[in-house]
Amino acid sequence: MEAYLLNLGVLIAIYAILAITLNFIMGYAGIFSLAHAVFFGIGAYVAAVVSMHVSASIFVTMPAAMLAAAVLSLALALPALRVRGEYFVAASLGLQMFAVTVFSEWKSFTGGLGGLVGIPAVKIFGQEVYRPASFFPIALAVLAAVVAITQILVRSSFGRSLTAIRDSESAAEGFGKNVPLIKTISVVISAALAATAGVLYAGYMSFINVESFTLDNSVLIMAMVIIGGTGTSWGPVVGAALLLLLPGLLSYLSFLPQADIGAIQQIIYGLGMAALMIFRPGGLVRRGSPQRKARPKAAPTRAKRGAVQ
Amino acid sequence: MSGAPEQEVLLEICGLSKNFGGVVAVSDVTMDLRAGIVTTLVGPNGAGKTTLFNLITGHLGRTAGTVRWLGRDIGGMKPYRVARLGIGRTFQDLRLFGGMSVEENILTVMEPGALPFSGPRMAQKRARAAEVMERTGLAGKRHERAADLAYAERKFLSLARIMAAGARLWLLDEPASGLDPNSYEIFLRLLREEVAAGVTVCIIEHNLDIVVGISDRIAFLDRGRLLADGDPKSVLEDAALSAIYFGDRT
Amino acid sequence: MLWLQLTITGLQTGALYALTAVGFSLIFGTTRVFHFAHGAAFVLAAYVFYWADQAGLGIAVGVILAALAAMAFGVAMDRIVYAPIQRHEGSFFTVFVASFGVGIAVQNIVGMVFGRSFVTINTPLSNSVELMSGVYVAPLTWIAIFCVAVFFGALQLFLRRTHTGVALRALADSPELIRVFGLDPRRISAAAFALGSLLVVPGAVITALGSGLNPALGSHVMLISLAATIVGGIGSINGVLVAGFVLGLAENLSQIFVQSQWSEAVTFAILFLVILLKPAGLFGRIQAR
Repeated sequence: MEAYLLNLGVLIAIYAILAITLNFIMGYAGIFSLAHAVFFGIGAYVAAVVSMHVSASIFVTMPAAMLAAAVLSLALALPALRVRGEYFVAASLGLQMFAVTVFSEWKSFTGGLGGLVGIPAVKIFGQEVYRPASFFPIALAVLAAVVAITQILVRSSFGRSLTAIRDSESAAEGFGKNVPLIKTISVVISAALAATAGVLYAGYMSFINVESFTLDNSVLIMAMVIIGGTGTSWGPVVGAALLLLLPGLLSYLSFLPQADIGAIQQIIYGLGMAALMIFRPGGLVRRGSPQRKARPKAAPTRAKRGAVQ
Repeated sequence: MSGAPEQEVLLEICGLSKNFGGVVAVSDVTMDLRAGIVTTLVGPNGAGKTTLFNLITGHLGRTAGTVRWLGRDIGGMKPYRVARLGIGRTFQDLRLFGGMSVEENILTVMEPGALPFSGPRMAQKRARAAEVMERTGLAGKRHERAADLAYAERKFLSLARIMAAGARLWLLDEPASGLDPNSYEIFLRLLREEVAAGVTVCIIEHNLDIVVGISDRIAFLDRGRLLADGDPKSVLEDAALSAIYFGDRT
Repeated sequence: MLWLQLTITGLQTGALYALTAVGFSLIFGTTRVFHFAHGAAFVLAAYVFYWADQAGLGIAVGVILAALAAMAFGVAMDRIVYAPIQRHEGSFFTVFVASFGVGIAVQNIVGMVFGRSFVTINTPLSNSVELMSGVYVAPLTWIAIFCVAVFFGALQLFLRRTHTGVALRALADSPELIRVFGLDPRRISAAAFALGSLLVVPGAVITALGSGLNPALGSHVMLISLAATIVGGIGSINGVLVAGFVLGLAENLSQIFVQSQWSEAVTFAILFLVILLKPAGLFGRIQAR
């Protein structure tokens, strides 16, 4: 039982990192990425290859993975963020599907569909960290660092710029904000931090393959953010814990066909996301102040269609 | 207080035009905005007033013509670069940062830089924000979300933002529309104070009391054309113009 | 003759892509709803057709049922999901997430009912006939190309000649205009969804008869629809049609140079190049934001 809980704890920490970093661009900057699992995957593959061939020290694998993810995210963000929001959704969906092909076909680097096996355990100051009891604190420490970094950024001028852009891009521009540049920086930060989850995952599982980095996984991370509450500090963590506990909870319901638990889980959060948007667009964890829709609008708004008139 | 020619020309518009598809929104407008002068743009709905603002700030690309700021060509510049030159604006539909608090709305306009922790020091920004909130009557609403404010408060926040941004030229798009008489007095007082402190204002306004009350100069637009440009009295007394203006409104 | 063979299959793929993408583009262009569940409509129609075939109802009944299912799904999405959201806020985000959520649910429900593996319907229509030495063409290819001509022609006639069609085009330009003319925007919107969803049917049916189905097809369909909409230019239905063919041809002709697993990479590369070099699309007007 203890091993089960520790294992779950490590996975929740890893997915919480992914959800927090996705929330950083989605909740604060209003950028929708369907490719978050790609940066998770890049982190994992780079960490695995580096630890197999160079060094398993977390102080080597972590920067390498973050750098790789940052560079790749730049390639996505630079063109796609110059134009409308829909373009980024489309480009990220394209990248996600493209990445799955690369992960499963670039055999010399990713091991193809079979994946990479025998990834050495994470080393810290020369000490190998044996799984899972001593791994949990490390996962928590990385999670804490990611929380700290994103929270500091969100509360800084950068976070205010992101939120300003999310709420009104044209007004943000009108007050001197270089919108594409700020968005690009946020995507790069998000991708680099998401790669840390990949580093943990590769070191923890000692085996990775494309299965963990598919569109389904990007969707799962997005569901965690949305169900927890976008643009909130703790929503993504709550969402990650909730959706990772869900399969376990469902398996207690013996009347459900056990072979379809995965599908049932996806149906639940798919419909959950839709219902939330219809009835409670803020998510489960609310942002600080009261509901915005309650107030009757005094002025006709013509901003809806985004035209400048 | 009339537009004496010795005042410095801040903004110079020459032959500016904008077409949307086949529709002409702004047609061959030539005018200038001079330091310390309050210019009001009047004209019926759809005359091209807001479009003119959008062309100046770079929110729209021009079809033809030039825009110069202190002699330098700024036509085709991106909005954020235009803003950084010292041209600020408000929007007819306000476009507040709805999910942010009142104070954050004001802080963020003082920090245009893209890097984290950019802009002046935090204590300095907070002090400036406090001063602006005090003057616009928003001090008590400091932590409220902008989207939750009452209508008049939202209008004042829109004004507070441009005050804090420290722009030299203000383009105000119907800043007083829908204000009750009391708020409206406060608004006028604020605007006069800012003008006295050296801000140059160009304002789109329908309310003729405001127009007469604060304008040094009136520019009359109709169907994208600049029909008249001069001191308030002569423009408002022009029978042909008031026919266009009031004909549209009743 | 490889290139000729690939061009012919490319035309078939392109025809199906084109119609499906035009459906999405029609909905997006007129109602501004980012209907991500369009891929789900495709999957639903395809599996309804498959079910009808398994039940022995015959192709004609299957096609009709598939069309009804797709249209009912589209209109229901508009009424049950998008309309309530648009009543209070209706930001791109809320609409997209809701649509996306329903899409995931549909994909998994279909997977639970029909299984997650590939299914296909055996029909003589997919038996290839040798056209000339080394070039094989199945009757389905001709049907696909015929469908594009008929459906697209009918769509153009509808948009130009009928009252609703003209209103749809007006909706894209100015929703206020609709009210001025005394039309009900909700009904016009329902028409857009019905019509847009109907356009997935040829693609769904021919895919079921030809290359086969699996429930995860929805995301591929969505990628193609999005890519074609952007490559063709948002707001240009003709552009999207051409872009659909471009993507279908590129996917097939690329097999001369790379293995077929990389076909999605080709789509991605084209999408990326267009975003990079011509963000307004090949045929789009540059829009003010």
